[in-house]
Amino acid sequence: MATFLIRRLIQMFIVLIASAVVSFVLLYFAPGGPMTGLRQIQQSGRNKISADDIARIKQRFELDLFVPYRFTRWLIGFPAGPISIAGQTFLADVQVGCKIPGMVRLRYPDGHTEIIEEGCEVPITFANLVDRRTSRGILFGDFGLSQVMLRDRPISTLIASRLPYTLQLMGASILISIAIGVPLGIYSAVRQYSRFDYTMTTISFVGSSLPTFVIGIICILVFAVGAKEAGFIYLPPGNAVSNKDYVIPYIGEVIASSTLDRALHFIMPLGVLVFVNIAGYSRFIRSGMLEVLRLDYVRTARAKGLRERTVVLKHALRNAILPFITLLAGVMAELFGGAAITEAIFNWPGLGRLLVDSIERNDYSVTMGLTMVSIFLLLLGYLITDILYSVLDPRIRLS
Amino acid sequence: MLIFRRFIKHRVAMWCLYLIAAIYVLSMFASLIAPYKRDAISLDNAYTTPFSAAKDGSYHVFGTDHLGRDLLTRLIYAARVSLTTALTVTTVSTLIGIAVGLVAGYFGGFIDTFTSRMIEFISTFPTFTLLLIAGSIAIQNSDAIPIPSLLSKTIGVIMAINEREGKQVVMIMVIFIALGWTGVARFVRGMVLSIREQLYVESSLALGASHLHNIITHVLPNAMPPIIVAYTLGLSGSLVAESALSFLGFGIQDPTPSWGNMLSFANSYMFNYPWMPLIPTLPILVCSLAINYIGDGLRDALDPRVQTEITRAKRDALLKAIHDRSAAS
Repeated sequence: MATFLIRRLIQMFIVLIASAVVSFVLLYFAPGGPMTGLRQIQQSGRNKISADDIARIKQRFELDLFVPYRFTRWLIGFPAGPISIAGQTFLADVQVGCKIPGMVRLRYPDGHTEIIEEGCEVPITFANLVDRRTSRGILFGDFGLSQVMLRDRPISTLIASRLPYTLQLMGASILISIAIGVPLGIYSAVRQYSRFDYTMTTISFVGSSLPTFVIGIICILVFAVGAKEAGFIYLPPGNAVSNKDYVIPYIGEVIASSTLDRALHFIMPLGVLVFVNIAGYSRFIRSGMLEVLRLDYVRTARAKGLRERTVVLKHALRNAILPFITLLAGVMAELFGGAAITEAIFNWPGLGRLLVDSIERNDYSVTMGLTMVSIFLLLLGYLITDILYSVLDPRIRLS
Repeated sequence: MLIFRRFIKHRVAMWCLYLIAAIYVLSMFASLIAPYKRDAISLDNAYTTPFSAAKDGSYHVFGTDHLGRDLLTRLIYAARVSLTTALTVTTVSTLIGIAVGLVAGYFGGFIDTFTSRMIEFISTFPTFTLLLIAGSIAIQNSDAIPIPSLLSKTIGVIMAINEREGKQVVMIMVIFIALGWTGVARFVRGMVLSIREQLYVESSLALGASHLHNIITHVLPNAMPPIIVAYTLGLSGSLVAESALSFLGFGIQDPTPSWGNMLSFANSYMFNYPWMPLIPTLPILVCSLAINYIGDGLRDALDPRVQTEITRAKRDALLKAIHDRSAAS
């Protein structure tokens, strides 16, 4: 077990570093970023931005460093300055970036000129890194600064403001769907081909084949737009709280950001996620149970004269639930990652929408941070699943 | 043959197959059946309610959008774009997956270790996030992925779009394929691993058959049925994923119609014109349900062959489908 754990942890670490490299490289090549708008302003010639201004902005977002240094500073916060060992400083003069690039004016034979960047006028050395913002690096939980969405503010503030909403939505939806989906799946399998089973399989079939955004939009049309037109109890179509009071028929006036207001906003996104998850979970449990219920040991248990309840819940379920645990590996990543599409449709201010927004607005440091978190949680989920599996199933030995 | 006959008996699945085929074939004659030009903008006619005449007297069965473009026309053209994208993406990624899975599973050893690690590595990435990032790069920089112009022209002809639009669609396809083949490869590898150990494969080798012969005549046909089911599920998966991506604005971009981007526009006019999102929702709903029914019919047709490895493979396919869904929920 100990060797297994150590090996898995090392493997996990390698995968984490590799995926950090990949996501860094991918987003490094992405267009846009904090400099795009500035270049346009500069080229239009109305507002002159001096080379110093550009250098200052670049320094904020570390865009003036060479890529390998940017990567290591982003990942582990190294180098943070010259290395000093026993009172002696090393590497103080080594160049790590370029503060102001050299400008060369090219004059073409046809008369028009063009300014290109070439060489480096003011280099940045290890010694210059000392007066910058020190980062502990993303591996140690420091996400760096947001470039666009909350300019210059730490990404952790951004994440902290969204995290409660996502935890609330995902936590509730996962718990409710397991609590409902698993029993439904078991009951459906035990009563195979009954009317209940047919209804259940049809509903869960529809639920798991329809895209979430279609279900979400239909819900808004029915429960928000339609119900309001009909003068019936309606639900607010989006956001987590409303900013002014409103009146709902049969319920009365709802005061903005009261508990009732929050609850009303919570119902629809929760409902959609629960519906979709239940459909998946119950189908999965049903097929697992059907497979196990055919097996000989279940027949033996029945032949021993055990009550049906004991046979199903104690003998069959224990084996049928095992593959369900692999399904839960992704749950932790989901819990913190949010549901991008559902959150986008219902305007829910969670992490999933933050991800979509950050990609849309080219705020790459935010995107990278969120991606790293979700990869880390997924890897952790896999590890926990493997350990749980070996605890629950004595046939599996970890080695 | 037996499987085929059993599938035909599955009424609903057969009707669904006819339906999808009919929609696709009809969309191929879009220029003949569509009542209007695809991008014919007339701002006077904007927001015409379905089944009514616009201000200038022209009749629109499904109404018009915010630019006065006829929605029925755009739906027909979008069927061509969305369905072709889903078909191409699923077919190519399944073929790549089969090839990689066969080689890895059959030969084992170093190749297997290498590909399995690679597949594991790719699948730790949150797929939908990667799709969003790659889509956003592709729409901002039209040269992000070099696409041969012959390819974008061909796709353009199939989808009735111009070369520039075609290039963008091909880029989206490439991204989907790059991320999509791993699931199939892992699943095929798992099956091939158990088929390889069967006695008939061993005896064929003992009789002096080559590996290639063995793969083609023994391994592949036995692995095929579950692959077909996975293919159908993958088809609806990529249809939904493409419309989700376009819905969020990172997929196929506006003048090119796709059900997803039509829905994303309709979504912003939902409160004034509640009928509007229903129009593109309808084909997405019908097609994803129909494709899933076909998959279900195929699964039922294959069911009597309940062998452990196939049941396990089916369960893996289901697991993958659920994972994909929760990633894109």
